[in-house]
Amino acid sequence: MTIRTTNLALAAAVAAASLMSVGAGAQTANTDKERCYGISMAGKNDCAATGNNSCAGQAKADYDAKAWKYVAKGSCMNMEVTLKDGMKRKGTLTPM
Amino acid sequence: MLARLEGGLADFQSGFAASLLSAEKVADRRFSVHRNNVKASLVAALAARFPVVSRLVGVEFFQAMALVFIERCPPRSPVLAAYGAGMGDFLDGFEPVADLPYLADVSRLEWGRRLAWHAADASTISIEALTAVEPDRLAGVRLDLHPAASVVASVWPVISIWTTNTGDEEARPIGPDWVGQSALITRPGLEVFVNALPPSAELLFRSLSAGVALGEAVARAEHIAGFETAAALSLLFRTGAVTSLAVE
Repeated sequence: MTIRTTNLALAAAVAAASLMSVGAGAQTANTDKERCYGISMAGKNDCAATGNNSCAGQAKADYDAKAWKYVAKGSCMNMEVTLKDGMKRKGTLTPM
Repeated sequence: MLARLEGGLADFQSGFAASLLSAEKVADRRFSVHRNNVKASLVAALAARFPVVSRLVGVEFFQAMALVFIERCPPRSPVLAAYGAGMGDFLDGFEPVADLPYLADVSRLEWGRRLAWHAADASTISIEALTAVEPDRLAGVRLDLHPAASVVASVWPVISIWTTNTGDEEARPIGPDWVGQSALITRPGLEVFVNALPPSAELLFRSLSAGVALGEAVARAEHIAGFETAAALSLLFRTGAVTSLAVE
């Protein structure tokens, strides 16, 4: 490859890299987030404190009390979910 | 005591330090109490540093193993947080754990996270800083990597092993189709991150951290199967591994 085409290939790769950088699933700063338990739908959790299900997307039941999801800091306690039996419950910062 | 001092203070001190960490019995009961405290504190420090290794071998085994480590690799620095650097190499040669060949790399991952935690702070830049460079000058760009950024390469699925033994009460079995993983450790803010770095991108990381210009670093990695320039660069910037760049 000539220097010119090498430069173009590199530029194309850099441009592609910048497009990839949105929501590409890498662990990045979560410092403005908090772990909120008991609010995630089956398969939509970020991780779990315990139990058979372990991490991202492995929760088998809706609103599993031990599965958590990252939410914006301060918002967890205000989130309310309606359980199967019609009861309402708020998210908590520790496993239930 | 006086008789021992006659041999010279330096001799006394080096003898004291040597017997402090050895497994041999000592006659002096008060010395043996002190020695026990020293060892217990070092074992506790190692257990805090290598929780996953400890979980994998069990607490009792870990404590016994830590005592052997302490004897073979005594602290070289008065800073307790700096103790444990040689754990990976120690485990590689420690016969009783030969049936857990991944253990050494798991300890290296844990050690890398510790290094990242105590490394200097630095602000990071996003990939936009690189897209802003004129295409003709991209090849000459040099990236400064974050002091906390490091790579632990392994032929074992170290990240999967580490993850399941960190977050899960019951460890998940790792499927038969596992592959070796390289861990990219970063700490852009106050939290340490562990991401899978494609093994093919490891050389890029090492070249860039050695100060090789972007064009040359990419050229070196390009012939490796599975290497994708865009994916590798995206990961490095996204995880906070890059602090600044210089255009020649």
